[in-house]
Amino acid sequence: MMHGTEIQNEQGGGSLHASTGFAPLATGSEADAPLLRLVGIDKSFPGVHALKNVSLDVYAGEVHVILGQNGAGKSTLIKTLYGAYAADRGHIEIEGRRVSVARPADASALGIAVIFQEFSLVPYLDIAQNIFLGREAAFSRFGLVDSAAMHAAARIILDDLGLDYDTRSYAADLGVAQQQMVEIAKALSQNARVLVMDEPTAAISERESDRLFQTIARLTEKRVAIVYISHRMKEVQMLGDRITILRDGAVVTSVLRDQKSQAEMVGAMIGRASGSQLARTPRAPGEPILFTRDVSTAKLSDISIEILAGEVVGLAGLVGSGRTEVVRALFGADPIASGEISLSGSRAPATPDRRVRAGMALLPEDRKREGLALPLDVRDNATVASLWRSFASGWFSPAKAERDTRGLIAQLGIAAHGTRQSVHTLSGGNQQKVVLAKWLAAGAKLFLLDEPTRGVDVGAKAEIYRLIDQLVEGGAGVVVISSELPELVQLCDRAYVMRDHRIVGHLAGDQLTERAILELAVHQ
Amino acid sequence: MSASVPLQRKSGIAQLLGAIPGAGLLLILMLALFTLVNPRFVSQTNLVNVGLQTSLLLMIALPMTLIILTEGLDLSAGALLGLSGVIVAEALLAGWGVFAACAAAFAVSAVFGALNGILIAYLALPAFVVTLGTMGLMQGIALVLTNGDPVGGFTPAIETFYRSQLWFVPLPIVIAVALYAALWLLLYRTRLGNYVIAIGGNKDALRLAGIRANLVHLAVYVLGSAIIGLSAVLLIGRTNSAHPTVGIGMEFEAIAAVVLGGTSFEKGQGWLFGAVLGALAITVLRNGLNILSIDSSLQVVCIGLLLILALLIDQARKQFVRRAA
Repeated sequence: MMHGTEIQNEQGGGSLHASTGFAPLATGSEADAPLLRLVGIDKSFPGVHALKNVSLDVYAGEVHVILGQNGAGKSTLIKTLYGAYAADRGHIEIEGRRVSVARPADASALGIAVIFQEFSLVPYLDIAQNIFLGREAAFSRFGLVDSAAMHAAARIILDDLGLDYDTRSYAADLGVAQQQMVEIAKALSQNARVLVMDEPTAAISERESDRLFQTIARLTEKRVAIVYISHRMKEVQMLGDRITILRDGAVVTSVLRDQKSQAEMVGAMIGRASGSQLARTPRAPGEPILFTRDVSTAKLSDISIEILAGEVVGLAGLVGSGRTEVVRALFGADPIASGEISLSGSRAPATPDRRVRAGMALLPEDRKREGLALPLDVRDNATVASLWRSFASGWFSPAKAERDTRGLIAQLGIAAHGTRQSVHTLSGGNQQKVVLAKWLAAGAKLFLLDEPTRGVDVGAKAEIYRLIDQLVEGGAGVVVISSELPELVQLCDRAYVMRDHRIVGHLAGDQLTERAILELAVHQ
Repeated sequence: MSASVPLQRKSGIAQLLGAIPGAGLLLILMLALFTLVNPRFVSQTNLVNVGLQTSLLLMIALPMTLIILTEGLDLSAGALLGLSGVIVAEALLAGWGVFAACAAAFAVSAVFGALNGILIAYLALPAFVVTLGTMGLMQGIALVLTNGDPVGGFTPAIETFYRSQLWFVPLPIVIAVALYAALWLLLYRTRLGNYVIAIGGNKDALRLAGIRANLVHLAVYVLGSAIIGLSAVLLIGRTNSAHPTVGIGMEFEAIAAVVLGGTSFEKGQGWLFGAVLGALAITVLRNGLNILSIDSSLQVVCIGLLLILALLIDQARKQFVRRAA
């Protein structure tokens, strides 16, 4: 069974010239033992049970697709497999042998390579140097790196992928799709036996995707096992020999191709019958606060939406579909190339500072970086967006800031020791409330909330929902981005669904269901 | 998706000609200007002088380039120069041999480099603050060792070494060229060179590639300080005495040279030859102004202006390239 084939040690280099060194399994039938097994993997983070007893069998020469909503645990699973996270329980087996993957170096020594979603390129190394980073020893001559040999080897890998890039270009000068392709080349160059691809087609064009699929077919012929993560139904059905569906950190089902229809898979991702939704109280919206006509930016095409006073409007779609870009364009943080944004009946002013004065508020996705000044205290953070208003003369009054902050703390129920507690010591939910407080103080009437409940616990979520209700009751308009479909369906009066940087659907009333959103959001 | 994006090359003549950095342009301009105004500028004596001054600056600016490529900085370089010189002088006075004295200075410098490196690489402290601290430390030790006075009266062998020549080329210039060649090989032809650039560009990527990134990071500081410590020997050879404060300010001149040459403080973007251009530009400016008998305080103003001008030129060129793309 194992042929005594030694596991290639990629760290030692020389891997390029050993490309025939895939451990060949005797037969290709499923009766074989799996090449890679994850057994009972369990992983918790503070407040989140990310992986629940996940077991997975990956066979040589197969594409094993992992399907799941955002937050289902796919990324955590990969990071555990690659040694970036340590599992709390469970273990990994390769060819029936238990192995220890404590560090990324262990994983590559075992022949596991990962194409990450976040790019791991070094901007001012060239393409060849990036592909072979850490494995330069393979090109050693007189103790120096044989640059010509390295570029020649990189050339072969790029040609294989049908890429005509100059191997001497800096990664910094590549576009996103080009960088993604270099990531793929980097992983391929490791001659891995197990190749993990985390949404490899999210950033590349159709033509490049086709090349990638051809490469995948060639690799599976060579008995490489592919773990493929994607949302795109078309790819899942085209590539997947075996499909495992994850939901809330647990394996829902693991099936062979064609055993389940697309509708059944979507159903398994969502998890509950579509009828069992929480009831929504219908709201009575008022005047339009904001509307856009055919807004396009570098990353968006033809966005036309309308937000009324007193309603919550969802922006649904998969990660990367352009939701965050929409709120950034609305807020004036990204320039728009064409189209029109109108705020309270007149043309929206150009820059974020003037949109804030006109009543706009943005609660960014990354609150720690963009929403708060973490080392500063509650008072500094809560008053920063309204200083122009509360201290119009230019003179600062600590006493007034103190009073205002106390009022906000009471109004929003922020659990802080006082106004001077630094916000990095607050819980996620309370931090989010401080961001909201900042905008309440600024007198906002249109709230753009990008993943408002990310990383907050269940209790804080309920409070944030309550605050959103209060905002709309007070006549504000609210836009919510969320990757959690139940949350969107429960919270919103209606929702726009995005795919590929454009709006592909609008759902309101009874039409607004998790299934309807997901069917619009995934690639057909 | 096309590959027709204009792509920048890493090193070599193509880049030099295709995109002469601001420092290079200004250098050519200054050479022409000073020659026109006073032909004595291109006399052999003066050119050798420029070469010697540039060499000394390069001894700091070359290792400083490696450090800046890691998104780091070494403000303690000037203080180390003073301290290391004092150690050589005191060791010679105590009867040590020349090599033993140099080895002592080398060892002390490497230890201080390791101190900087451990604090910056392993404890992730900001390089600016760490080296500001060690700068004070080194300067203090040099002053304590000497009571603040210059140390002289040791063997003239050091001065002889400084003044000797290799085929009519003064030895300090030979040493600087050799150092450039060695560091060029290190940076562009060894694995370590890639890792240095990777630390500044994406240290996590280096870690994920299975490399002990912190160790490489530390090594850059040790190597940098060791080179700087050894170059103190040249500095004390020039006057045959060691001044504890001789290097004060040289760290800024070296950093200015590196930045002037087009190396960025971010993402590991930069090139070694930039330090040569920058050091030459600063030295030529200073030398030319001397010949024109311009007051030394005004010279400082001019160096500041040179730096800002070079940055403006580079910025304008970058925007031009972007628009053309």
